[in-house]
Amino acid sequence: MQRRSLFKAAGVLAVAGAIALSAGSASAQDSKKFTIALIPGLTTDAFYITMRKGAEAAAKAVGAELVFQGAPDFNPVTQVPVLDAVIAKKPDAILIAPTDKTQLVQPLKKAADAGIPVITVDTFIGTGQYQTGAGDADFPISYVASDNVLGGAMAARALASAIGEKGKVYVSNVKPGISTTDQREQGFKDEMAKYPGITVLETQFNDNDANKAASQLQAVYARNSDLAGVFGANLFSALGAANGVQQAGQTGTVKVVAFDAPGSIVDNINSGLVDVAIAQHPAEIGYFGVMAAYAHLTGNSVPTAIGTGFTVIDKNNVADPNVAKFIYSE
Amino acid sequence: MSTMTTEAAKHVAPEADHADTGKTLMQRIAQLRAWLFLGALIITFEIWARLSFGGTFIFSPFNWQSVAIFAVAPLMIAVGQTYVIISGGIDLSTGFIMGLAAVVAAHIVNLAGLAMPLPVAMLVGIMAAVAAAAIPGIINGLLISRLKIPPFIGTLGMFGVARGAAFLLAGGTTVPVNNSWFAMLGNGRIFGIPYLVIVTAVFVLVMHYILSQTRFGQHNYAIGANMQAARRAGIDIRAHILKLYVLSAMCAGLGGALYAARFTAGAAQAGEPLLLDSVAAVVIGGASLFGGSGSIIGTVAGALVIAVIQYGLVFLNVEPFWQFIAVGIVIIISVLIDQAQRRFSGGKQDE
Amino acid sequence: MNSQTPLLEIRNLSRHFGAVKALQDCSMVVRPGEVVALAGDNGAGKTTMIKALSGVYPPTSGEILIEGKPVSFGSPQEARALGIETIYQDLALADNLTIGANIFLGREPMKKRFGFLPAIDRKKMADAARDTMAKLDFHVKRLDAPVSNFSGGQRQAVAIGRAVYWNAKILIMDEPTAALGVPEQRKVISLIKSLKTQGKGVIFISHNLQDIFAVSDRIVVLRRGVVAGERNIAETTHDEVVKLMIGG
Repeated sequence: MQRRSLFKAAGVLAVAGAIALSAGSASAQDSKKFTIALIPGLTTDAFYITMRKGAEAAAKAVGAELVFQGAPDFNPVTQVPVLDAVIAKKPDAILIAPTDKTQLVQPLKKAADAGIPVITVDTFIGTGQYQTGAGDADFPISYVASDNVLGGAMAARALASAIGEKGKVYVSNVKPGISTTDQREQGFKDEMAKYPGITVLETQFNDNDANKAASQLQAVYARNSDLAGVFGANLFSALGAANGVQQAGQTGTVKVVAFDAPGSIVDNINSGLVDVAIAQHPAEIGYFGVMAAYAHLTGNSVPTAIGTGFTVIDKNNVADPNVAKFIYSE
Repeated sequence: MSTMTTEAAKHVAPEADHADTGKTLMQRIAQLRAWLFLGALIITFEIWARLSFGGTFIFSPFNWQSVAIFAVAPLMIAVGQTYVIISGGIDLSTGFIMGLAAVVAAHIVNLAGLAMPLPVAMLVGIMAAVAAAAIPGIINGLLISRLKIPPFIGTLGMFGVARGAAFLLAGGTTVPVNNSWFAMLGNGRIFGIPYLVIVTAVFVLVMHYILSQTRFGQHNYAIGANMQAARRAGIDIRAHILKLYVLSAMCAGLGGALYAARFTAGAAQAGEPLLLDSVAAVVIGGASLFGGSGSIIGTVAGALVIAVIQYGLVFLNVEPFWQFIAVGIVIIISVLIDQAQRRFSGGKQDE
Repeated sequence: MNSQTPLLEIRNLSRHFGAVKALQDCSMVVRPGEVVALAGDNGAGKTTMIKALSGVYPPTSGEILIEGKPVSFGSPQEARALGIETIYQDLALADNLTIGANIFLGREPMKKRFGFLPAIDRKKMADAARDTMAKLDFHVKRLDAPVSNFSGGQRQAVAIGRAVYWNAKILIMDEPTAALGVPEQRKVISLIKSLKTQGKGVIFISHNLQDIFAVSDRIVVLRRGVVAGERNIAETTHDEVVKLMIGG
């Protein structure tokens, strides 16, 4: 009895699927329906969740199917098995935010060897310079990401103008070896070198622990009572540094620039805890990632690097809907 | 017959507690090692500060305030962990239980704030966070006490579950809190003392009392030293272990609520980096991972040692990676002292 | 002496594990102030006998009487409540606790701090520890030291002291001298003798015939689950006991 109803259900499903498929192929003008996999750095982050939304929008526009699979934390050890499982299902293209510059090279090469084109989003492998014929990590088709060096430079400019182009600042960073945060720090320091009145102190690494980032700010402030500002290279670095400023009773005096803009940043900007937030455009990354994959699959050439933009959010524009749309959705 | 009795009795009497003082001294040192570390560290940092830039480490109240605030979150977890480690177990799930509680606190404070006055909403949120934390604690306790799953494995499983639940509840992001009272609890101060530090001090005193003055605490030590003996003495081991893991989870829950108050946001990964620091604090504080020894006062010192190292090295402008090395060295020395003390006092229970 | 009501009487006790008859129709008696040695080769049924008496295994058939009254117990706690205390080879002490805390483990006395706050009464535990241990001719000065600081014989005394404090009538001692050096063994023998003078009944299990002959009044020999023989120590020899044990 049960089995029969199961069969029946399966039959209904199959019919429905066939209708959906034929409808889908009709709208995609008889071309094959592509399956594109998106593997984020971690699944539990607003940044990647927003990226997925952009990717889905693009997939819908070109009539492709988007598969979103990832590990709950930012770690090659957990990401590689997910990648292997995705490769086994043979999607038409893989978009991935590699969690390590070198450790993901061989696992991704397996995909390339199987004839699946690889596009990296947000983070990269090797040097990030693809299709150059140099090195063994140049096989991905394209690298779609915010230009993190530029983002760091924008943070530097925002912080410099907030502190009147003089004083001591430092970078509150996660840990060395993450391509994006390293580039932000680099961009920040390079840009700050253009301001003779500003001294950049030693970078403090907090292991993504807001508590530690706060304590570090207090220690740096205790040592440098003329501390003028801090750049938090990711959310927890910024949140922690902002709390350190608050605990030290220096809110408004020591300026805080945060990288990334999840929903909670709005309150932090309004309450004055954070002075400036640099929002990436993760939805844009997802969208152009899928578009690049589609272009490649349909025989069009694709630029090897696609840079997406940033939006600088502060108290003056945070309420503007044109700016607010760049705050990461949940 | 009777002459033999008196003869043998002569042998017994004079030998009472022989070779005792050396062992006792070693045990004292082992118990106080965290405070000795702390003293040595502070003096070193003070000399260093004076020599390198003519500043002071000890005599700056700002430094002490910062160190105390920094120690609050790991200490909350470490206090519960102290109980668990004394009993011979370990609780690896507390980091994410703290994250879960932080997210629950943020949501409930916001929701309750719509219906009731802000201070009441704050209390409701804190209680909800502690209650929510108790649920994974109960499951941990049941797994370990009823199904005899080793604590390491059981709580490792719960580590994953609590983490997933926390991320789901938070929707993969941080949950902002809108409650001025809650934010005041996290960041305000009275007579220069942060509320957070006051709450933590009261909490630590209560937990110290329970461990050192009640049957629950006494049985906890007995179970850690010799579970068989405790069982034969009629202690209900299963009920005790269940309570123990609930207690540990609720400590993490309160820690999570305070975290949400301080950062005015609930974040699922709030406690993740704190787990190892908290275990380190317990071990530096004089507890043995084999169970049977440790104290809340020692754990407080252990947490302060870690906080002073991490804060002090930044204050002294030391290359950041030295922090890890310094904390690592302190842990190793601490365990060496523990081992030395064990060897000294014979380790009879292993036979 | 022999006319007194026995402290403990075991009548036709059997314990079967499936088809295995670990104990078959065993009977024995312990009178006040008497030390009865229980001897036998490995697998003779000594351990099963102890576990039946201490409430770990309920007997399959047979009767246990304490001071003439038939009793039955389902758990070690019930056996203890009726005055049977077992001192295991591994002592069952919490090494990290003081003598007092071990004596009171699971039954700690409480007092009120500041008139309201319940707290463990450590002074009472220490006083009781001093008095109890003095009864056993073991005079402790460091009552705040954990028992791990004491020697094997002294720890044996603590385990016995716990039984004495809680008014055990019958003490079952499983290989109390096994893990000890010679001077320590003598100390334990003298402890058993002091229990005798206090009118306790002692069942003493040992492999060491030397110790058995030094301390016991009677010996009961088990072989393959049955009582192979019972002798007064004064009227037997090592050789005879060995023969009973191996069935020669």
